[in-house]
Amino acid sequence: METEELLINMGPVHPSTHGVLRFKLRMDGEIIKECTVVMGYLHRGTEKLAEMKTYLQFIPYTDRLDYISAMPNNYAYVKAVEELAGIEVPLRAEYIRVLTVELNRIVNHLVFMGSLLLDLGASTAIMYGFREREKALQLYEMLCGARMTFSYFRIGGVRDDLPDDFMSKLNEFIKDMEKRIEDYKGLINGNEIFMMRMKGIGVISAEEAINYGMTGPSLRGSGVNYDIRKIEPYSIYPDLDFKACVRPECDSYARYMVRIDEMEESLHILRQIADTIPKSEVVATQKYGIAPLTGMPYTAQTYFPRIFIPPAGEAYSRIEAPKGELGFYVVSDGTTKPYRVKIRSPSFCNLTAIPKMVVGLKIPDLIAAFGTIDVVLGDVDR
Amino acid sequence: MNAAEELKQALPASVVSTGMQVEKPLVLVKKEDLLEVAAKVKEMGFDHLSVVTGVDYVDRFEVIYNFFSYGKKENLVLKVVLDHEAPEVGSLTSLWKGADWLERETYDLVGVRFTGHPNLTRILLPEGWKGHPLRKDYDMSVEQFVTIGEDGEDIVSTDGSNLLRRK
Repeated sequence: METEELLINMGPVHPSTHGVLRFKLRMDGEIIKECTVVMGYLHRGTEKLAEMKTYLQFIPYTDRLDYISAMPNNYAYVKAVEELAGIEVPLRAEYIRVLTVELNRIVNHLVFMGSLLLDLGASTAIMYGFREREKALQLYEMLCGARMTFSYFRIGGVRDDLPDDFMSKLNEFIKDMEKRIEDYKGLINGNEIFMMRMKGIGVISAEEAINYGMTGPSLRGSGVNYDIRKIEPYSIYPDLDFKACVRPECDSYARYMVRIDEMEESLHILRQIADTIPKSEVVATQKYGIAPLTGMPYTAQTYFPRIFIPPAGEAYSRIEAPKGELGFYVVSDGTTKPYRVKIRSPSFCNLTAIPKMVVGLKIPDLIAAFGTIDVVLGDVDR
Repeated sequence: MNAAEELKQALPASVVSTGMQVEKPLVLVKKEDLLEVAAKVKEMGFDHLSVVTGVDYVDRFEVIYNFFSYGKKENLVLKVVLDHEAPEVGSLTSLWKGADWLERETYDLVGVRFTGHPNLTRILLPEGWKGHPLRKDYDMSVEQFVTIGEDGEDIVSTDGSNLLRRK
């Protein structure tokens, strides 16, 4: 019988690519022989924009990288600048930062769960995920007035202190989420169809995952116990009790389970923070640098300075974002604007492994495997 | 002894200088010897290539590689300096597959060529784009228009002639 290889185009506008991403697939019947990823449809030149903005002005642009979880983006950027300038952040601000980031991890994984199940054809989960997400977004709205693009972090702290009734609302959310996660586990984890679609699909071994530069839950699903919060602790993470969630199976199901486990760990962290958050300032009170007009050093202010000049130098700083290692490489030439900002986005680097992962699978499995990598195209294309 | 000094001891001829970059050991490497040094770096246990950054300093280019070792839990930064006329350096794709897209991105946006890369094409911008945006001399006043052609490939023009409705 005569056979022929078929070239199939998937995307850029396709519901299960979570944005605008294009796959070029070389098919042998139903089996994928080769997968080429074409991206850049959402490229906005964020790194170039950074060179034209002051250090403070760039914070809102980081929100728009990974718009599902904007707090970690804010955090990674200000952390890099703080490292460059050697700024000490007050303890309460660190607690608030970790609180917002961990809350965002839950939000991110809820969206992950919902959209993954939606891709597989189960449309209920996204309703559940978005129902809980809404409560978290209302918390964020109390905090900074925004629901997705927060711009809440500032160099040396956070913008505002927590509102008065925030903690009681947060406790309500935690109590609610505990029950909900049990629901998800009962509904999804043991579902036979779900397991058939996920188990043994999109397998990538630990060595390969490391070699491809995968990080975050996608790497931990391959059995590598690597969580930046644990092995390169920053902020208040050394004082918190939590564990890095690891699964040894290397397949899509493991990557899904890691994220469900992580939601529980994040809730556990939130509970600890709610109990122990100290009272102090929320922006750094040390001097920030030299004022450009007067030549006088900035001293303790009630508010952060509008113009901020770190010393010349460069720093790479990374955090454990919900999707993996998010890093900012910031080069300062001693002026008000960064000389160069390089964004190491977890989505981009995790996506590198997809062409390797999906060879020999069918197209619906590509969608399942791609869903468990959890990319956001704003983060891939920048 | 930190990783940078260890590397200098092992390959004294290839290492220009060592130092620190905010608590991370930094090694300045001769660009011709990058592959050799990188192979040694991998042998030393630095299995995670975190990021590849290209910076245009007008008179020169710098490419910076951030490594991390899962076993030793250490950081290492490699840096090469390239001349501005023809920035070229060896590709690390044979050692770290993750370098593939990171190098393509650096080529695309900064214009550093990685010799030995299996598929050094643009990644974020469409093929046919003029210039490398993250260079300091990139002309931002020139508008470029992108459309998708019949075969799905991108078409770029500077006069908008590929647009359905012309300017």
